[in-house]
Amino acid sequence: MLHYILFIATIGGIYGLLALSLNLIWGSAGMVNLGLAGFFAVGAYASALATTSGGAPILAGWALALIAGGAAGLVVTLSTTRLREDYLAIVTLGFAEFVRLVAANEIWLTRGIDGISGIPGPWKAALGQDFNAVYFLIVIAVVGAVFALMRRIDRSPYGRVLRAIREDAQVAQVAGKPVLHFKAQAFALSAAIAGLAGALYGNFTSYIAPDLFLPLITVYIFLAVAAGGTGSPIGALVGAYLLMTLLESARFVVAVIPAVTAVQRAALKELLIAVTLIVVLRLMPSGLLPERIPPAPRPQTGGTT
Amino acid sequence: MPILQALVNGLVVGTLLAVPAIGFTSMFAVLRFPNFAISGIATLGAFAGYLAYGAGLQMVGSLVVAFAAAAAAGLFFDKTAHLPLVKQGALPAAIASIASGLVLENVIRLGFGNDFRGYDRPIARDMYIGDIRVSPQQLETMAIALAIMLAVFAVLAFTRVGKAMRASADNPELAALKGIRPERVAAMASFIGMGLVGVGGMLLGLDSSIDPLTGARILLSIFAAAVLGGLGSAPGAVLGAFMIGMAEELSVLAVGSPYRTAVGFFAILIMLTLRPRGLLGERAF
Amino acid sequence: MTKLHIGRRTAIASGVAALATPSIVRAQTDPIKIATLTPLTGGGGSYGPVMAKVAASVVEEVNKAGGVLGRRVVLVSEDDQTSPEPGVRAARKLIDVDKVVAICGTWASSVTTAVAPLCWESKTFLCTVSGADSITLLPHQGYLVRTQPNSTLQVTRVGEFMLSLGDKKVFTMIPQTPFTQSTIDILNKVLPAGNATHGSLIYDDKKTSFRTEVDQALRATPDVILANGYTPDTVVLLKDLYRAGFKGKILGFAYSINQKLVDQIGQPEVVEGVYTFAPSPAEGSGAYDRVKAAVGSSNPDPYTCQVYDHVNMVLMSIAVAKTATGEAIKDNIRKVTQGGGKSVDNAVDGIKEIAAGGKVDYSGASGPCDFDAKGDILDCKFRYEQIKAGKFTLVKLA
Repeated sequence: MLHYILFIATIGGIYGLLALSLNLIWGSAGMVNLGLAGFFAVGAYASALATTSGGAPILAGWALALIAGGAAGLVVTLSTTRLREDYLAIVTLGFAEFVRLVAANEIWLTRGIDGISGIPGPWKAALGQDFNAVYFLIVIAVVGAVFALMRRIDRSPYGRVLRAIREDAQVAQVAGKPVLHFKAQAFALSAAIAGLAGALYGNFTSYIAPDLFLPLITVYIFLAVAAGGTGSPIGALVGAYLLMTLLESARFVVAVIPAVTAVQRAALKELLIAVTLIVVLRLMPSGLLPERIPPAPRPQTGGTT
Repeated sequence: MPILQALVNGLVVGTLLAVPAIGFTSMFAVLRFPNFAISGIATLGAFAGYLAYGAGLQMVGSLVVAFAAAAAAGLFFDKTAHLPLVKQGALPAAIASIASGLVLENVIRLGFGNDFRGYDRPIARDMYIGDIRVSPQQLETMAIALAIMLAVFAVLAFTRVGKAMRASADNPELAALKGIRPERVAAMASFIGMGLVGVGGMLLGLDSSIDPLTGARILLSIFAAAVLGGLGSAPGAVLGAFMIGMAEELSVLAVGSPYRTAVGFFAILIMLTLRPRGLLGERAF
Repeated sequence: MTKLHIGRRTAIASGVAALATPSIVRAQTDPIKIATLTPLTGGGGSYGPVMAKVAASVVEEVNKAGGVLGRRVVLVSEDDQTSPEPGVRAARKLIDVDKVVAICGTWASSVTTAVAPLCWESKTFLCTVSGADSITLLPHQGYLVRTQPNSTLQVTRVGEFMLSLGDKKVFTMIPQTPFTQSTIDILNKVLPAGNATHGSLIYDDKKTSFRTEVDQALRATPDVILANGYTPDTVVLLKDLYRAGFKGKILGFAYSINQKLVDQIGQPEVVEGVYTFAPSPAEGSGAYDRVKAAVGSSNPDPYTCQVYDHVNMVLMSIAVAKTATGEAIKDNIRKVTQGGGKSVDNAVDGIKEIAAGGKVDYSGASGPCDFDAKGDILDCKFRYEQIKAGKFTLVKLA
């Protein structure tokens, strides 16, 4: 049981990183990234390839995942600078699909649909059964560090500029803020975090494959952030863990329903998850822990809302 | 010649895609959020039509049933789940609509299981027009799709409901001032839009097979068609659907079928870079 | 245990009662738990439900006959959603919460590869139907067997069969799967060796029409087309081949071209003469007939037959070992499947024989179920059938 809880808590932490990543650009800067799964995949593949075929140490793999995710983020934002901003959603959606297709079809690079197995985990052989516990602590440490960074950004002048851009990009531009620059930075940082989450996932479960990076993961993270409260890092984190709790506890709920077939039970489980999410969104449209915009240091020049 | 044949095949696919794409884009025009529940609604339409067809209703009757079931369900989800969230922005509503799609998918799974079902329609050999191969059934399906599209455009252009929807899409405040009740127009948009999506699901299911994932398989193509044509523009959606249909078939010849969705997205990226408001611009109706 | 109470009240309802009992007491009286992990939703959703159903039927039979080692058998069926991430979470729950000793029926190769490390690390036995060659090469320490012949064996036999039909031009239409590349590579070797040519095309199985793909294939004027997808896309492909007026032969795997597909197409001439191919039990096997009865189909697919065998083998291994752990299954599974003894085709008979002190040699619904050291099946007969007037008729068993 403990192993199960640790495992789910670790995966929950990785979902939490994705939620923090999404919250930075969607919650703070108001940019819609429907391609989160794509950046997650880029990081996962970067670290997996580096630490298996490349023989690199795991930390190097994670660093590479950060860089690869960030670079992919930059490419995506820069290729959309000429587009109206709501089209970013479509381009990122296409990006994620493209990444998955490359992962599935370019066998020379990614080993195709077979996926990459045997990805090393830190001190895995030495730790044996304790690996799950140690890895959980590592993930929590990473989540903590990223969370602290997000909090800092949230309360810094930088964060206020991002929010200003979210509320009205033109006003921000007129106020002399290089909007494009800020957006590209935020997007790359967010994509880098998603990439790191991918690396953490691969080195934890030891296996990645294109099937892992279906759009459903992106949907889940959006639901997590929306349920937790957009614009608030703590909300994103809480949302991710709530989502994980919901996904897993649904199993136990439907297990007590008698006299249905296996497929009906599976359908009921998915149904329960979807309905709960709708109900949460309806009852708490701004999420469980809504954004509280911290006051600017000098209130008279405020006006970020 | 392979290219010409692929274009004809794409035209057939595009025509079928156009019906749900019009529905999706019209809803966007009025309700101002992308309603991804279309995946579940298209599946619902396909199953409703299937049941009606199996019960002995003819094609037209089955289409009416598909429309009605999808329209009613679409209206229900919009009223209860999506529209109350639009105040918070388009995205929360869009997210809720994804969850609604999952609800519908699993309701259908609960009732019908995962088994594939097919409309009991005779399968005929193709005929040749010159060197071009066309399927008489697909021609029939295409004709039905075209007739539906004509009917939709007639409704939008000439009826009070259509005029109200167009006015409200162009400028909701002005429309409200002129006495057009926004909630009525919203309800009409949900009803008609989702009805069309349901009919589209049935038309696409006629030739292949249907299961709880039918709508999910075509979701991206419908979305791509609507975006390519300019979200909110019904003629744009038709044009976008033809282009996506043809691009997907041509991609089989050019880069191989596995990259077909990527081709669609690249088409969108290029189009949006050159014409940021989509092929025909937004809200052209 | 304390952690459990924090946020998971639902878990408590089903799990805690069992966990609260001291484990020594539990070992004697508690039921033996085994699991199926099959796709109940997602892309493989048309295969998983019947697999779970046939597993339940075996467990029911065994329980009726008094269980294993005097203990009842409980089957837990989870859904892998045809994707490794939910698959891994489900497996973790089966292993850590339900404490199952064996997981049967993982279907998608990606799910199997993701779940396998969890199984060998926790000493849980895994039986799979996934075909990718790479799976038995994993460092599974014996905790894995697969009843599906690996793709090298299957595809080689398919190639030889096409040659025996006298085909000179072969064209393969296949979606992107873990065995796509190896299938094409093997046929590129086997067919030219028999003086036949081979062309191939990889298609996207989510498309609703394959007209352009069919045009591409027909341009090669093949004698035979190998339709190597799964049921949903193969339905569309066969219809489009018929519409295009293809007059040559069609060959497919029985996991995709099955009774369901024939019923669904609904028009016998579209599938008339189509050949199918499946790993098969010896003629007159009672196991195959019992699978037919359990799932109510005259033509159960190979995966269903294999899961039937998984559950039977696992339960008999437990009976031989006299203890219900994954390790015991690992150490004893080959003692019930090969190496002589009374020939049995179901666990009820097998367990009776074992209890009487005898040895058994199981041959199941999918074949003889003899495994090599890696967990691959050693040899296997294949069943070649042809559809005639909507019915599957046996061509040969070889």
